[in-house]
Amino acid sequence: MDLFSGLLIGFNVALQPVNLFYCFAGCCIGTLIGVLPGIGPVGAMSILLSMTFGLPPATAIIMLAGIFYGAMYGGSTTSIMVNIPGEPSSVITCLDGYQMARQGRAGAALGISALGSFIGGTLSLIGLLFLVFPLAQAALQFGPPEFFALICGSMVFLVYLSKGAAGKAFIMILIGLILGTVGIDRISGVSRFDFGFPYLLDGIDFIPLAMGLFGISEVLMNLEETMERTIFESKLRNLLPNLEDWKRSIGPILRGTLIGFFGGILPGAGPVTATFLSYTIEKKLSKDPGRFGQGAIEGVAGPETANNAATGGSFVPVLALGIPPNVIMAFLMGALIIHGVSPGPLLISQHPQIFWGVMASMYVGNCMLLLLNLPLIGFWVKLLRIPYRILMPMILLFCIIGSYSVSNSVMDVIVMVIFGVVGYILRKFDYEAAPLLVAYILGPMLERAFRQSMVLSDGKFSIFMERRIAAVILLISALLLLHAGYSYYRKAKLKVGSKRPPQETGDHP
Amino acid sequence: MMFWLGMGLFVTVYAYTLGLKGFHDPGPGLMPFIVGLLLCLVSLYLLVTSLLKRDAVEETNKGEEKKVSLGAISLVVGSLIAYALLMERLGFLITTPLLLMALFRGSGARKWRSIVFTSILTSLIVYFAFTYLRVRLPAGILRF
Repeated sequence: MDLFSGLLIGFNVALQPVNLFYCFAGCCIGTLIGVLPGIGPVGAMSILLSMTFGLPPATAIIMLAGIFYGAMYGGSTTSIMVNIPGEPSSVITCLDGYQMARQGRAGAALGISALGSFIGGTLSLIGLLFLVFPLAQAALQFGPPEFFALICGSMVFLVYLSKGAAGKAFIMILIGLILGTVGIDRISGVSRFDFGFPYLLDGIDFIPLAMGLFGISEVLMNLEETMERTIFESKLRNLLPNLEDWKRSIGPILRGTLIGFFGGILPGAGPVTATFLSYTIEKKLSKDPGRFGQGAIEGVAGPETANNAATGGSFVPVLALGIPPNVIMAFLMGALIIHGVSPGPLLISQHPQIFWGVMASMYVGNCMLLLLNLPLIGFWVKLLRIPYRILMPMILLFCIIGSYSVSNSVMDVIVMVIFGVVGYILRKFDYEAAPLLVAYILGPMLERAFRQSMVLSDGKFSIFMERRIAAVILLISALLLLHAGYSYYRKAKLKVGSKRPPQETGDHP
Repeated sequence: MMFWLGMGLFVTVYAYTLGLKGFHDPGPGLMPFIVGLLLCLVSLYLLVTSLLKRDAVEETNKGEEKKVSLGAISLVVGSLIAYALLMERLGFLITTPLLLMALFRGSGARKWRSIVFTSILTSLIVYFAFTYLRVRLPAGILRF
C-alpha cells in the first residue's frame, strides 16, 4: 500500500463525523488538563479510557491521542500567563514566556507557541510517516532475540536518560518488571506472586495501576501545597506575532522540530527532555544569550515546538516495533491492547484503518487545536480560576468511576488507592513512577522474548551475540549502563553535596 | 534502599520456589529470579554509593519533613477505601454524595449547605451521564 492510498483511507476514517467529534473532544480535554495543573495527560487518559470501551478502537485511540497532544498545547498557556507549568513539558516555557507576558507581550508568546506547536506537530507527522515504514519492514525480520535486545535497550535508555538518579530509575524498572509478572504465567500456567488472593491471579490491571500512580498520587501531592495562583492580568492583544518575531522564531521552530522528533523516538527522552535540549541549544546559538530568561521569543518558540514534535516522534517505536518509548505511549499501547489490537510491525497491514486513521486525525487535530487555542486563550485562562479544592474531589471521583467501570470490580478501586499511596511515597523519595509503568508494559514482552530465545538457542546465551542486530543493541546498552553507573559513582565519590541544577541532571550524565 | 534490598531478596527466593528449570527450558520463576537478583545488586550498589555520599541521612528524612498534611492525606485515602468497600452494598447514589462531602470538607470548603448541595447535584449529574454512556455503576439500594 502506498502513501497516497493510505492517507486516503486515513482521512476517510478521520473525517467521519463520529471520529471528528471524538478528536475534537480529545483535543478539548487535552487542552483543559494541560491548562489545569494537578492532573497530567496520563491521569486524564486513564480516567477517560473506560469511556472509550464502547467505541471502535480507531475512534478510541484518536481521542486518546488528542488528549496527548492537546495537553502539550494547553500546558504552554499556563506557563506563559501564570508562570505555573501545566505539564512538565512546558516547565521551560515559563522562563521566557512569563517574562514576555510581563512585558505585555503575552499575545505574541501564546501565538508563537501555538503556531510553533502546529508546525512542529505537522512536520513530525510527516517524519513519522517516512520512518515508520522502513522500520516496520525491518522489524518483520526480527525474531525473539532481536526483540529481547530492543526491549533491554529501551529500558537501559530509560535509566540513562532519567531525570533523577539513574539508580532509582533502575529500581523502578525492576519493580515494574516484577509487577508485570504477577498472575498466571501464560506459558507454564503457574501462578506467580498471588499470595492467595484470587484477584491477583489475573495480574494487576493496567488501569488501576496507572490511575493510582499518576492520578491519585498527583492529587495527594497537591494536597500538600496550597497553590498560589496570581493570574497575570493583561489585555491580550496582537495574538499574531509580528514579522520581527517570526524572523527570530523560524530557526528555533525548525530546530525544535528536529530535536523534538528524534527526542521523541528515543526511549525515556520524550517531550520533556526535548524541551530542555531545545532551550539549551537556542541559548548557545544565540548571538545574545543574555536575552534568554528576559523574555526572548526564541526561548518560547523552540521548546514549545519541540514538545509537540516529540509527540509525533514517540509514535514511531510504538507503531513500528510495539515498544513504547515513554509513559504516555505505554499508556496508549495499553489502550490498544485492551481494545484487542496488538501494536507492532504487523499493525499497519492488519489494521490499516487504525494506523492511517490515527495519523490523519492527528493532522486534523493539530488544525483543530490551532483554531481552539488562538481565539479561546482568554477562556482557558479563566478556567485557571477554578480553585483546586473543587477540582480535587472531582478528579478523585472520576478516577474511581474509571477504575471501577473497567471490570465492575471494587478490587480495582482498592488496588488503585493502594498504588496511589505507593506512588505518593515514591514521589516523596524522589522516585519517578514513569519507568515503572513502562517496564510493567514491557515486562511480559521481555519475558516472552527471553524465553523464546532461550528455547531457540537451547539455553545458550550466545544467541544474542550471533544475531548481529541484537548484539549491537545489547552492546550499546551495556556501555550506556556502565557509563551511567560510573558517572553516578563518580558523583557520589566527589560528594557533590550541593544540589545540582535540575535541568542538567538527566540530559548528559 | 534497605527496603529495596529486602524486596529483592524476597523476590529472588520466591521466584526460586517457582522453579527455574535452567536456561534451555526456562521455567516460570526464571525471569523473576533474574530481576530479583538485579534488584538486590542495584540496591546494594545504591547503598554503597549513598554511604560514600553521606547524604543518605538527609534523604531518609525527606519523607518525614512535612507531617502537617498527613491528616488531609489519610482523610482522603481513608474515605476512598471506605467508599470502595461500601459502594456496591449501598449503591453509587448514596455513597458518592457522602464521599464528595468528605472530600470537599477535607479540601477546606466551609459552608455546609453549599457542600451538601454541590455533592448531591454532581453525584446525580455524573450518575446519569455515565449510565447514558453505558458505564455500569452500582445502583445499590436505590434502583431506577
